[in-house]
Amino acid sequence: MSVQELVSFAPWNFIAQICNLLIQMYLIKRFLFKPVNAMLEKRQAMADAEIQDAIKAKDEAQAMKAEYEQNMKEARDKANEIMTTAQKTATAQSEEMIKEATQQAAAIKAKAESDIVQERRKAVNEIKDEIGGMAMEIAGKVIEREINEADHTKLIDDFIANVGEVS
Amino acid sequence: MEVDITGARILFDTPINLPILGQLRITETMVISWLVMLVVTGLCIWLTRNLKTENISKRQAVAEMLVEMANKFVVGNMGEKFRYFVPFVAALFATSMVSNLIGLVGLRSPTADLSTEMAWAITVFVLITAQKIKTNGLGGYLKDFTTPIPLLTPFNILGEVATPIGMAFRHFGNILSGLVINTLLYAALAVASSALLGLIPGAVGAVLSQIPILDVGIPAILSVYFDWVSGVLQAYIFCMLTVMFIANAAEG
Repeated sequence: MSVQELVSFAPWNFIAQICNLLIQMYLIKRFLFKPVNAMLEKRQAMADAEIQDAIKAKDEAQAMKAEYEQNMKEARDKANEIMTTAQKTATAQSEEMIKEATQQAAAIKAKAESDIVQERRKAVNEIKDEIGGMAMEIAGKVIEREINEADHTKLIDDFIANVGEVS
Repeated sequence: MEVDITGARILFDTPINLPILGQLRITETMVISWLVMLVVTGLCIWLTRNLKTENISKRQAVAEMLVEMANKFVVGNMGEKFRYFVPFVAALFATSMVSNLIGLVGLRSPTADLSTEMAWAITVFVLITAQKIKTNGLGGYLKDFTTPIPLLTPFNILGEVATPIGMAFRHFGNILSGLVINTLLYAALAVASSALLGLIPGAVGAVLSQIPILDVGIPAILSVYFDWVSGVLQAYIFCMLTVMFIANAAEG
């Protein structure tokens, strides 16, 4: 069997090897890179989808949290408002009550005072009449004569006025 | 004992005979190259069988790792715009490495034939030149030979031609040296074992001395460097140079 030179350049080998390299390139592309890259892309797409889902879920959770916080805040505000209103109402009511009581007390006091004045006046008048009658009797007895009724009354009134001033 | 180290065997001659190319001969180089292609392609098909996006098998992990490595090697050294070079560089590396290592099973490496390396180097050279013309235009490419002064034109041409020749001979020389050293070692160990076992007297010694017992195991030690390290390293260097030269050509 014949052999090539140890260090030689064989044109046909050269051409065959160029073809072999190019064919090998196609084969490696077709049977290694194409399927693996397709699979990697698929995996990438899946990972992206997962991440998107996660982001969405996170957004939703945050929205829910914000809503919850908002609700909580509103509830707290409302509670505060109710408390404030209640306090205000209570204060107003108590003030009202105190005022009313004061007024009532004042009214009672005023009425009592006016009653006293009236009673006193009544008493004075009664005394006045009584004293007048007594005086007239006494005078009639003393002078034993009938005095003019008008003069009489005037005299008595003057007298009583003097008595009233003294008393 | 005579040791004969020759080139690739010529398996048979075909009647095709072209003027410049000469007679078409089917050589050992060609046949073993086809075998290498079968091995590489078969490996690709086997590795990418039944790919899944999750819960992957070890086989798929290897396939993914190889693809990632090839991508990283090419894109990392050449940039994103050269991503389409990945299959070419991968093919170059795989073919070169398997060709180098196929010598381990006793076949003759196709890379122990200069024509193989020349074929690869010329292909790379064409790519480099195409890239240079694409970057600078044909005028710019030709003008580049006259820099810095026109006097240096012959040297520039020489430097340009030296690129593929250097690449081819570097690879070829390494593989051939491994082949030569292995052949010599086998022959030497055969002689040594024959002499050693020949010391045994009588017919037993005569029979045993025919068996090259020292050839078992010992060459494997040298083979670690000359076949494994050198084989992988040369494939890597060849691809690295390819990538670097093309990337440089794109920079203008």
